[in-house]
Parts: sequence; C-alpha cells; structure tokens
Amino acid sequence: MPDIILDVQGLETVFKTPEGLVHAVNGVSFELKEGETLGVVGESGCGKSVTMLSVLGLIPTPPGRIVAGKARFNGRDLLKMSGEEIRHVRGAQISMVFQDPMTSLNPVLTIGRQLQEPLMMHIGMTRKQAQERAAELLEMVGIPNAKDRLSDYPHQYSGGMRQRVMIAMALSCSPQILIADEPTTALDVTIQAQIVDLVKRLRDELGMAIIWITHDLGVVAGLAQRVIVMYGGYIIEEAAVGELYTDPQHPYTIGLLGSLPRVDERKQSKLYSIEGLPPVLYQKPQSCPFAPRCKWVMERCWNENPPLETISPDHRVACWVDTKTGRSRS
Amino acid sequence: MTTYIIRRLLMVPVLLFGVTVLIFGMLQFLTPIQRSALYIRSEPKTDKAVEGVIRQYGLDKPLYVQYWNWLVGVVDNNGERKGGILFGDFGYSRVASQPVADLIRTRFPNTLDLTLWAVAPVILVGIWLGVQAAVHQNGIIDQAARVFSIVGTSFPTFVFGLLVLMIFYANLQWFPPGRLSDWANRVVLSDEFTRYTSLLTFDALLNGRFDIFLDALRHMFLPILTLSYINWATFLRVTRSSMLETLRMEYVTTARAKGLPERDVIFKHARPNAMIPVITLAGFQVVGLLGGVVITETVFTYPGIGQAAATAAAQLDVVTVLGFALFNGFILIVANLAVDVLYAFVDPRVRLS
Ligand SMILES: Nc1ncnc2c1ncn2[C@@H]1O[C@H](COP(=O)(O)OP(=O)(O)OP(=O)(O)O)[C@@H](O)[C@H]1O
Ligand SMILES: [Mg+2]
Repeated sequence: MPDIILDVQGLETVFKTPEGLVHAVNGVSFELKEGETLGVVGESGCGKSVTMLSVLGLIPTPPGRIVAGKARFNGRDLLKMSGEEIRHVRGAQISMVFQDPMTSLNPVLTIGRQLQEPLMMHIGMTRKQAQERAAELLEMVGIPNAKDRLSDYPHQYSGGMRQRVMIAMALSCSPQILIADEPTTALDVTIQAQIVDLVKRLRDELGMAIIWITHDLGVVAGLAQRVIVMYGGYIIEEAAVGELYTDPQHPYTIGLLGSLPRVDERKQSKLYSIEGLPPVLYQKPQSCPFAPRCKWVMERCWNENPPLETISPDHRVACWVDTKTGRSRS
Repeated sequence: MTTYIIRRLLMVPVLLFGVTVLIFGMLQFLTPIQRSALYIRSEPKTDKAVEGVIRQYGLDKPLYVQYWNWLVGVVDNNGERKGGILFGDFGYSRVASQPVADLIRTRFPNTLDLTLWAVAPVILVGIWLGVQAAVHQNGIIDQAARVFSIVGTSFPTFVFGLLVLMIFYANLQWFPPGRLSDWANRVVLSDEFTRYTSLLTFDALLNGRFDIFLDALRHMFLPILTLSYINWATFLRVTRSSMLETLRMEYVTTARAKGLPERDVIFKHARPNAMIPVITLAGFQVVGLLGGVVITETVFTYPGIGQAAATAAAQLDVVTVLGFALFNGFILIVANLAVDVLYAFVDPRVRLS
C-alpha cells in the first residue's frame, strides 16, 4: 500500500471581512497517497481554493487566518513551518497551477525567465543551465520551437499555451504533489481536453500525486482515483471514483451528478440543477449547511450538523438521511 | 519597438501643428500693431510709420498668410529675416527689452535646474516610500504617508511657499531666496568658471566648485520644497495604490507559489507592473511642475522662466507670454514622447504590439 504523503487534519480557515468573519474552511480532513490523483469538486465559493492555499501558506494574511488544523507532509506540519521553511517546499515539493492562465503569468517578464526562476532557486542551476532546462520543459508540455519561444512574453502565447507553461513551471523541480486549481475552467472545451491529456501523460511519466480541483465531475471521472466533494467549507462526501459515480450518498453529490451534461448533449447548458446558491458562512452552522437546498431535509438536519462518517471502507459521507429510503441513517 | 517609436514620432508634427495653431489663434486677439512685436523691436509712433509696418509685415493680410509669416519670418528692406518661430525667433519682449528667445535662453536653465532637483527626489524616494507603504499596509510609513497625503494635497502652493519663507528665511534665516550669494555670483560670472550646461548646480560640480554647488542648493531648497511637496503626496498615493492592486494579482500568488523569497516577489514581480501607471503620473508631474514654477519662482524671487512670465503677464506683454506658452507646448510634447518611450521600456505588451 502506497504511503500517505499529505495528511490534512481539521483545517479551519477564516477571513475577516467588513461584513463579518467568513468561515471559509471548517475542519477539513483528507489524505493524499503517493502517486494518487485526488479530485476535489464543489460549487464556486465552497472553499476548495482556500483549503489548498492554506496548506501552502498562501492565504493572504490579513484578512485570512488559519485557526486550526495540521497538514503533515513528509512527516512535518506545513502549517507550523516558518515562512523560510515553507518557501523551500513551494514549487519544489508541492507546486500549484491556477485557474486563469491569462492572469497567472507575469506580463512583464519573459516566459524563459519565469521558467528559470524555480530551477535556479530550488535546484541551484546557473542561468545557462536553467535556460536549457526551460527549453526542455517547454518541449515536454508540447510547445513547438521551444528554444525560440523562451524570449517571448505571456501575451504572445495563447491561453492553452500559457496553461502549458504553468504546468511546465509547476513540474520543473519534480514535485511530489501537483495541485491544479481548476486549470481548465478558463479554456475552450477542445483545449481543456488537451490539457487533461497532457497532465495524464506527465503523471504517467513523472509519477507525482495530483490534487485536481474542478467544478466538473465529468473531468474528474477520467482522471482521479478518489474524489472529495466540498460544500460550505466542509467535506460532505468522499469516495473512490467508481463508487461515487455509481452510488452517491449525499443529496448534494446526487444533485451534482444529476446535472452532469450527457456526452451526447453538446451544450453545457445548466451545470447545476440544485436550486439556490451555496452559503457564505458568517457563523459556524448549527444545522446542516446544505439543509436549505435539500430535497430530503428532515427535522434533525436543522438542529445538528452531520459529521463525516465512514459508511464503507472507501466511502465517507456527512448526512443524516439515507437517500435510498428517505429515512434517517442509523 | 522601432515601429512603436516611429509611430509616436510621426505624431509629433501633428501635435506641433496643433500647438502653433492654438497660439496663433490667441495672437489674433491683439491689434495688428501690437502684433508687430513679433517682428520688430519698438512700436512705430506716427500713423504713417504704423501703416508702413503693417504693410511690410503683412499684419493685415489673410490669416493663412500671417500664419506662414509667423512661422518663417519676413525679410525686411535690408534683406534681414525678422521673426519666424521655426528659426527660433519668438518676437521681441518689450518688457524685458530683449528678444523672447534670449529671455528663454537665460531663464529656462534656472527653471530646469530647479525642476530637476524637485523631480528626481520625488520620483526616487516617492516610489520607495509608496512601495513600502503598500507592502507594510497600515504600518508606520503607510500611516505617515496617509496623513502627509491629506495635509499635502490640501495646502495651496502659495500659502505653503509664504509659510516656509516666513519660517526659514525671515525667522530662522537658514535658507536665503534668490539664486546665489554675492561671492558665488562673482565666481560664476568670472572667466575661471565655465558654463558647460547652463544648469548652475551641474556646472558647479563640473567645475569642481563644491562650495558653489552647495550655495546654489541652499538658495534652491525652499523653492524645491514648495514646488514638490504636492507631488510627493500624489506620487506616494498613486505608487501605493498601484502597488496594492498589483500585489493582489494572480501572478504574484504564482510567484509566491514558486517559492520565491518575498523580496523577489515584491521587487522583481510586483513592482515593475506597479510602475506602469506611475510613469504616466511622472510625465504629468514634470509638466505640471513647469506650470507650478510661476508661483514658486515669484514667491522666492528666483530668476526662472516662471518669474519672467509673471512679470510679462502683469505688464500685458502678450507676445512674451505667448512665446513662453509656445515653448511650454514644445516641452510638453517632448515630455509626452519620453513617457511613451518609457512605457515601451517597461511594458512588453506596448513594445511588441
Ligand atoms: N481574500 C478573501 N477575503 C475574504 N473572503 C475570502 C477570500 N478568499 C476567499 N474568501 C471566501 O472563502 C470562501 C471560499 O472561497 P474559495 O476561493 O475557496 O472557493 P472555491 O471553492 O475555490 O470557489 P471557485 O470554484 O469559485 O474557485 C468564499 O466564501 C470566499 O468568499
Ligand atoms: Mg477556487
């Protein structure tokens, strides 16, 4: 059985805003095994990005603050590391790719320069070595004439190519974990598929573990081994990918899957058929945060927030209701 | 880059044409005989002479003829060219009893000297302070900068100028007005002092006369302060807010996620982007400073172009004032060109478009 390389326990992150304290992440726990791909899904604002940024110490402080939790990585707690220590983890052992490739590269620095930075920083390459390696990396992610394109600036690359650059940069120091935060959301559908294929290929070649954040349960099905579903800053369901698709337990997951566009339907017309919007939590809820939108809601859901419970070896869910029977789970 | 600069350069003649048409239009408010100052020194006294002058310099001709004459000058009976702004002849200043161009030549270096000393510290220190205020938001520098911004921008120049004049000149006698002390002036006017650049502080350094350099700076200190304190305030504010905005950009998070030290994140990734709006401001400020010299130089009796303009305006010497306006227009165009080139230098999206 492969080792656990990242073990997050009870992570809580809040933001101080003029409207009040926002509880963005509320006691999130998950594990990541070596070489595994973990999907993280959920609607906008449910705390996916904040969870990952917290783990890497990238939450803007203020307004953000991590109030509780551990994140063990190679036996050390990332949340307890000094700024200098975690800096040597970022980009070297855990790296991150962001959603919008149009804004995630620096517009005034050349692609080459931006690729060289982590190489010189973490591996101690000279500028010349880094330059050669940068060209190889660009080639690796499928950019033609890689050598000549190092001196280009981001605006001379298309969106898809920029995301390839981001991936090349993230993988440049052979990290153990790649966190991809909705890396395809901002791209055209055809380009999305190319990026997913690229990441699959690189995973097979390099063997890193991946945390793939997305809105799109369809993409995750073909990529991940295990999936976490988040809602209101909580993990509400977690299961092996096959089990989640064949036997979803949480009403929210069922809703998400129900709104998955069919392969034969070209349009991604309405992504979610669940009524209403996810909440912004100014207080830790005393009820199930999904209750206001839930079809199966019962008395108990309004009074107690269900904990995440193991229902089978590969499956955890946080819900009072057994959606098969519509009655209380016991 | 080259095509970009060529495109900007091609704009220059268009702008110059615009400026000259504007100034020429204003000259039309003068009577024909008042406009004769564009060509000759003294206004003719007898009616007959007046008529002769008007005819000779075409001051009653259609506007396009007059405009052309104004540009290239008119050849008089002795075969000499009179006037012609294209040849650097801006007419005759009857108040100063010398050609307007000569007046500009003697006065402008003083003003430029003053402006450079007012601008350089603002830009260098202002950027540094603005970046610090943004990086340590709500820290000491940020708080002080905020207070200073409010006080600075709500204080009119002439009040501030008179105030420092009263305190540092009249009461404390630390800084004198004027341009130089008598002893220094004697040295500067003597043969052993070479005027390489016409800018006094630079010439003093080039001549190796540090004492004169300091004397000049001492005289300029209060005008510099008066001229630039408002710019400090605005420069700080704009740099700070631009930097704060840049620090929220996703590529800054990318830089941090790469494991770069915070120093590199701020100075290599964020600051160059934050400078883009600051450059525009710097361009505006240099131009604005040249306008601001009128009040400052008058308050401190500093012999620059602003003081000369104020004197000419007070005596209704319109030809001189408009000559200065024309010159100011040129400077403005050059400053704009410099800003455009600087833009291309920092922003590849502009350079390579
Ligand atoms: N800088 C911030 N200041 C205040 N609140 C924040 C900040 N960043 C995130 N939040 C809050 O944290 C919550 C979770 O946001 P997060 O970005 O993690 O959502 P997400 O699941 O990644 O959504 P998306 O799919 O849109 O990326 C949101 O309610 C958001 O309002
Ligand atoms: Mg997100």
